[in-house]
Amino acid sequence: MLAIARSELIQIFRNRLVLVTSLIMPVAVSAFFIYRHEVFAALGSLGYIAAVIMVTVGAFGLYTSTVTTLASRRQNLFLKRLRSTAAGDAGILAGLILPATILAAVQVTAILAALAAVSGRPADIALLAAAVVATLAMMIGLALATAGLTNSPEHAQVTTLPVSLGVIAVASWVGISGTEELTLLKRLLPGGSATELVLNAWNGGVALGDSLILLAPTAAWVVVAGALAGRLFRWEPRR
Amino acid sequence: MPTPVIAVEKLNLRYGDFHAVRDLSFEVRPGELYALLGTNGAGKTSTLEIVEGHRTPTSGAVRVFGHSPRDRAAVRPRMGIMLQESGFSPDLTVAESVRLIGALTRRDDDAGRVLDIVGLTRKADTVVAQLSGGEKRRLDFATAVYGNPELLFLDEPTTGLDIQSRDALWEAVDRLRENGTTIVLTTHYLEEAQQRADRIGLMHRGVLHREGTVGELTRSLPSHIRFRLPAASPALPLPSAAAGDGTVVVETFTLQKDLHLLLGWAHDHAVEFEDLSAGATGLDDVFRTLDR
Repeated sequence: MLAIARSELIQIFRNRLVLVTSLIMPVAVSAFFIYRHEVFAALGSLGYIAAVIMVTVGAFGLYTSTVTTLASRRQNLFLKRLRSTAAGDAGILAGLILPATILAAVQVTAILAALAAVSGRPADIALLAAAVVATLAMMIGLALATAGLTNSPEHAQVTTLPVSLGVIAVASWVGISGTEELTLLKRLLPGGSATELVLNAWNGGVALGDSLILLAPTAAWVVVAGALAGRLFRWEPRR
Repeated sequence: MPTPVIAVEKLNLRYGDFHAVRDLSFEVRPGELYALLGTNGAGKTSTLEIVEGHRTPTSGAVRVFGHSPRDRAAVRPRMGIMLQESGFSPDLTVAESVRLIGALTRRDDDAGRVLDIVGLTRKADTVVAQLSGGEKRRLDFATAVYGNPELLFLDEPTTGLDIQSRDALWEAVDRLRENGTTIVLTTHYLEEAQQRADRIGLMHRGVLHREGTVGELTRSLPSHIRFRLPAASPALPLPSAAAGDGTVVVETFTLQKDLHLLLGWAHDHAVEFEDLSAGATGLDDVFRTLDR
């Protein structure tokens, strides 16, 4: 797994398209939110900015780049090549996904630390970490499922749009309007309960038990995405 | 008889209504070079992919070293696979590609050694995207022979290679065979199989039609003597047929004897054969019988 992860890391830094999508774009968006944090805090809250940052990095830095990577590795038969070795399927996937996951986690941590530095510490760092981990896990599951529907890296530019734009839209909707109305719908949408969890973790003022239960819908999305990935993921191009 | 390295029994593969492989059974013995040949779409690559563990058969049993070929941890460290299409990441260099795949085979070797075998040492730091098709095939072979596997699959290994690269590849295969490596080969170059295979399986439309050594496969077919006769020649001493272009064809199971008879007859009658040729039966003749 580590040999595959090392080779993936090399490729991320050699491929400018992946580098721009997975590193530069999320950082640029996040930098804008932090720079104008007073405006966005007035619109929603500081927790809203944290949620949008987390979801943006998850959507572009992890989800889109993972779908693109898997589609590319499948299209040029690199996945088949890896399966010609003694490596198991789980190890191959873990190796392919690990670098983007670590980069995304480092990005979220660094950007949220920058936000905390300019606006103040979050109320509950552990809860915030739980929200980040759950969201990244959900994005990985969705990426595996979407990769099954994606024939090529070019195709990924289309197939990733519904989820990537969808979760950012949900995060903005929940972050700005809260969950007093349409509560169930907002919590069940992908990224909805994770956003609410980040709001609670950053802004404070909500009992821990009420926040922890918000992990359940995100965990459910991980399970659903995992099940979809199991059905949809393909190791070789369609003949 | 030693335990076979590969044992395939009543293998079937269906894609919907299409029966790609039908009731296929064969064995590959330790140390032999077994060539699986066939017409286009005969099911060779499908069969090979099942035996390699890449594909699940519809029914039938396959054992490799006594294990299921899908038990990668058990069988893959002992086998090298040269796929029909390369499958390398274009952004990795040649050396990085060999080191990655080599590490995943769990066999010990040196990337420099296998690159030297295939003549890619000078390309070690070149990214795969910049390699020619032939160079990619050589890289493919380098990763397949990394760590001297006990079993080597070669799927169309010399397609796209120049003559020097082919010679280098077969030299490397010969060295592996001296060390006891078992080889399964598919190729469209029949002369390669004819020269090197210990046994050949001939597939046609998903069925293994014939199997045996080159001698066993060709023994049942006649050799041919071909020539043109001058006008108004006397009757030949042997039965013959006329080809469309005016060439006379004599089919024979006793090539030397009948050729001697014909040349004696020509001498006695002062007949000059034009475009005389005589050839032993080859695999290409066996192939031509498959559609009959």
